[in-house]
Order: sequence, then C-alpha cells, then structure tokens
Amino acid sequence: MPLDTSTYNLALLRVDGRRWNELRRVHAQIRTQAAADGSSYLEMGHTKVMCVVTGPSEPGPRRGTGGGGAGGAGAGGAAEVVVSIVIAGFSSVDRKRHGRGDKRTLELQSTVANALAASLHIHLFPHSQVNISLHVLSQDGSLLAALINAAALACVDAGIPMTDYVAACTAGSTSTYAANDEGADPLLDLNHQEEQELPGLTVATLGESDRVVVLVCESRVQVSRLEGMLAVGVDGCKQVREILDRVVREKGRRMVQEGTVEKGIGLNEMDVD
Amino acid sequence: MASSQHVLLSPAELAYLHASLSLTPPIRPDGRSPTQFRPLVAETGILPGTNGSARICFADGTEAIVGVKAEVERTAQRPGEETVFLEEGGAGGDGDDEEEEAGQGLDKRKGDASWVEMTVEIPGLRDDDSGTAFLAAMLSEALLADGEFAKRLWINRRFHWKLYLDIILISPPLSYPLPLLSLTTHLALLSTRLPRLKSEGDEDPFFDDDWAAAPYLFPRTTSSSSTPSSTTTKSPTPAATRPPITLLVMAVGNNIIFDPSKEELAVADVALAVSVTGLSPSHETETGGGTAGEKQTGRNLRLLSIRTIDPPSRLTAPGVANAANTAYGASNGTSNGTQKMAEAEAVEGVWRPPRGGAKRMVLGALVQKVLERGGVVDEVLDALEGADSG
Repeated sequence: MPLDTSTYNLALLRVDGRRWNELRRVHAQIRTQAAADGSSYLEMGHTKVMCVVTGPSEPGPRRGTGGGGAGGAGAGGAAEVVVSIVIAGFSSVDRKRHGRGDKRTLELQSTVANALAASLHIHLFPHSQVNISLHVLSQDGSLLAALINAAALACVDAGIPMTDYVAACTAGSTSTYAANDEGADPLLDLNHQEEQELPGLTVATLGESDRVVVLVCESRVQVSRLEGMLAVGVDGCKQVREILDRVVREKGRRMVQEGTVEKGIGLNEMDVD
Repeated sequence: MASSQHVLLSPAELAYLHASLSLTPPIRPDGRSPTQFRPLVAETGILPGTNGSARICFADGTEAIVGVKAEVERTAQRPGEETVFLEEGGAGGDGDDEEEEAGQGLDKRKGDASWVEMTVEIPGLRDDDSGTAFLAAMLSEALLADGEFAKRLWINRRFHWKLYLDIILISPPLSYPLPLLSLTTHLALLSTRLPRLKSEGDEDPFFDDDWAAAPYLFPRTTSSSSTPSSTTTKSPTPAATRPPITLLVMAVGNNIIFDPSKEELAVADVALAVSVTGLSPSHETETGGGTAGEKQTGRNLRLLSIRTIDPPSRLTAPGVANAANTAYGASNGTSNGTQKMAEAEAVEGVWRPPRGGAKRMVLGALVQKVLERGGVVDEVLDALEGADSG
C-alpha cells in the first residue's frame, strides 16, 4: 500500500519527524546472555534483534538447514561462519509465520555470513565453526542492517579476532522511482513505511574506512541517484560504528570496574575512573 | 528438542550422581534443596508490538521470549447451532449444566481449541522436529485442558480472537527447556491485553483505540477481597483462574526433585511434566466443610495434565561391576552365567539405567507433592505474579 510521503518537500521532515540525515535511536547491549560465548541485543528504532554466537567450536553434525555458510567450508584452513536467522511470528504488525526454508531468510543468512566471514580472522580457527543465531523480535525497516550490526557486536563479545567493526545502515531517496525526480534528496536509515514506498539500499562498511563490505539494493532506482544514496549510507555507517564502539567500550569499562576482567596492558590509555 | 539429548557423563559419574540424589535429604550438584527452583530473571511487556510478551532468563543462561498476538477471526458457523442460539433463555439446557453458576452472561460463550495456535522455535532444530512439536503440544494441551481459556477469546457469536503464541528459545538448549518455556508463556499470557470491545451483541466487532483501557486477558485482582468467602463456589469467577504452568518433576529413588538440571535429569528414574493452574489467587479457603478455623493460605490448585517424559537415563550405558570385568580378573567366556547375573542384579555403586515403567506409588507421590497447598507451585505462581506486576 503506497503511502503519501510527498509532504517531505513542505517541511523537509520525514514521516517520523527526522531530517534526511538523521539515524533513528540506536540502542545496543552486549553480553546479554550468560550461557553463550557472545551475545548482543540491538535496537534500531523499532527494529529489535538479538544475537547469540557460539564458537569457534568443533563443527557439529552436518544438518541440512541450508543456512548461510561462508568462509572455508570447515574442513579447509578456515572456520565456517554459519548464520541462522529466526524471524519471530510476532515481529511484524500482522502476525506471519516464517518457515526455516523461507527464501528471504536464506538470503539474509548468506549475506550476513559473507559479510562477517570477510572481517573475522577465521583462518586462525581451522576445522571449526562459528555459529551465529539471530532472532528478530520486532521489525520496522532496516532489518539487514540491524542483523549485521548485532552479529558484529556479538562476535566482539565472543572474542573472535576481527579486522574491524562491520557497521551497516540503510539509505534511500525522497521520491519514488516512477516520479523520476532528479532533485530528490537522499535519506538515511529508512523505516518500514519508507522502505515500502521509496527506493533504498543497505550498505555495510568496514570500520572507519570507506570500504564497502555489503551493498544490497532490491528496488528500482535511477543510477544518477545511486551515488548520493551510497555516500549518505557510508556516512551513516560511520555514525553506526561510533555507536557500536561506544557500546563495547562502555561494557568493557564496566567489566573492568566490576573486576570481572583484569585491566589489560592496552587499556592504560582508557579512562577508567 | 528431545529430552534425551546427549549426556556426556560416564557410568561412574552417573552412579555417583544417582547415589547422592537418592540420599535423604538429596544432595544436588548445585546445592539446591529438592523443591528449589533455579533463580531466574523475568520481565514482561518487553515488546510493544505484541499483545503480551515476556522474557525469562534462568541462571544457567537459558533464555526464552514469548510473544502473544491476537487477531479477530470470523467464527465458523455450523448448521444446527443456530437453533440453540434462538432460544436464548434456555441456554442452560443445551448440555453445559455444570456451568450454571457461571452466570447467564457467560453461558453462551463458547470456545474452540483451534482459536489458539502455538509454535516453538529452538535454534539449531528444524521446526518440524518431533521434540519441538511435542513441546508445543504439551504446552498448548495444558492451556486448553480446562476449556475455560478458549472461552476468553469469544467476542460474539460471529467473531472470536485468534491467539498466536510464539515461543522462542534464544539460548542454545542447555537443559530440557520445558519449564522455562512454560513459565515464560505463563508470564506472557498474564501480561496479554486485548482491545476493549465497543460494539454490542453480534455486530461486527469494533474496538476502543485507547490501549490504556484495554483489559487484561487474565484480569488482575486489584486488591485482596476483604469478605472472606467460605467456599469457592460462592465466587464463581472463571476470571480467577490463571494461565497454567507446566513443571518438570523427577524422582530418584524415593526422592522427589523439582526443576532438574540436565545432569540430574540424566539419572532420573521417572520424569513427569505436570501442568497445574491456580484457581483463586491468594484466597483463603477453609478446608472441608466443618473444620472451622483451620484455614490454609495458598490457592486451590487444579491438575490439568500429566505427561511422562522419557528420561535420558534410559539411554545411558550401564557400568560394569568389578566382578564381571575381565580387566579385574573375571574370567571371560567360561562364565556366561555370572555375566548374566551381573547384568540382572544391581551392584552398589555401579550404574544401571532404570528399566521398566514408573512405580505407581512414586507417580502418586509426585503428583501429590506438586498439588500440595502452599507448596512449590504456590511459590512459583507468587513469584511470577510479582514479576508481572512489578
């Protein structure tokens, strides 16, 4: 059902009151679950995702889950990253049951697996497996971005060596493809309503660099608008990376203060009071 | 997931565990008392997008989230039912006479088991896994057992609520997740609210927009009623029933142990899933008719269902007694008879997986213990209610 977002031009405000370059509220926690090697909880607006990482561990019996496996296929010189995504039936506005073999879910799984396999140092763990299970509790757009961010945080918590954060975010454009409006502004961090109507893409970058790890665009958009959208998206990823970094540092500081972990050598410059 | 997942314990360890659990009082590996539950963290109303939701985290790290969603659905009309509906005054005559005391207003409410749909998701398992299906069946069975629950979903003769309960186990399944999932479902149902109905009669349902005005599916008692009712029949409020809880209880020897961990379950002689519901929350009722003054606090518990769980102990390998062990000098080959004897009779300190069914006395004692007034179930229900309101 198309929505009317043509009011954007009047006040330059989006349906939820944001400016074009504003992220929604991002709230994240790590180490939310005691039993797992790594875990995280991430909210991007109303999109809520939980992630649990097990491993690197010995690969279990082969299951025909068809989940997104990436990296060396376990037997080779590198660990395999296996991602399984469970989209809760109650996550969307109308209750919808998502089967395990859902094609969309499978694609999300393989995208997340490939994105993380590229930044995790999986070559350090031959003949092993990193299991990432993601649970979608609530959906309001930017699902893939939230999944990637949550998985990256959980991998940090699990202590798996990685090159840098993989931070993801979405970008869109203020007018539809059909409007063919050359002067359309790019938008940052689409919510569900905007995602339904406007062209959008998901981009993930590696750390503070401009290196793009994931770029997914599933809607029709004029190629002239793509560059602007990508630039805004990459800029958003940097903001997201800052947020993720703050979450990890905050948790680390608290753990040092509580005495859960000893203050390491590299932490001297960290301001622990 | 099956209860009989792999247990990595040797026969010697199993024998030790079994021996310490059959002492009086039993010594549990984590130092709990036999009726003590694992500590848990619970929160409700975590997902504003659902009608009700809850999250429970056990101290061993297992975690579950339950979300409840409701949709309005048209009730399938069966021919022949209409004739009953036309004579509204004589609603009591259509078979459910035992509902007389429930008041005329509730008489015409009907429920159907298909109005509740329950799914269980466990990471790493297929959704059509037999263990998962069994868990879902067990939980929904307890919910629908008394037939009262489905009646709450009745809107009018033409429409009803369809309730979807989605249960997600977040953590890897470290122990048999039945108690966790059941407690989380209980909490989610306690926090479930359905929009207030504005339309009347059999019109198409029309609801109040104000979420704050939405009544709870299980109405809360605002204050403890000051008038002490002598019998429960005088306060015929089906509203007083609470959602059921399913507890895992096991027996080792003559000891009854609640909420067993994975290791304890591995040496269980009998494991039962017992579903109970509390009728009137924290209501004081007299026991019996004449024994005045003897009041017991606690609620009236009602047994809903019992299921035996196949304990993983049956699949463990037996230990070998020294007398039958060739490494300890037992002659091999010649004495087939002694080997058979060694298999047949129990040797102190040598693990033997339990065989045969549960003893009737033990089963009776298990159920008795669960239904004890002011016992474990009361404690659990009180704690959960506290978690919900707090």
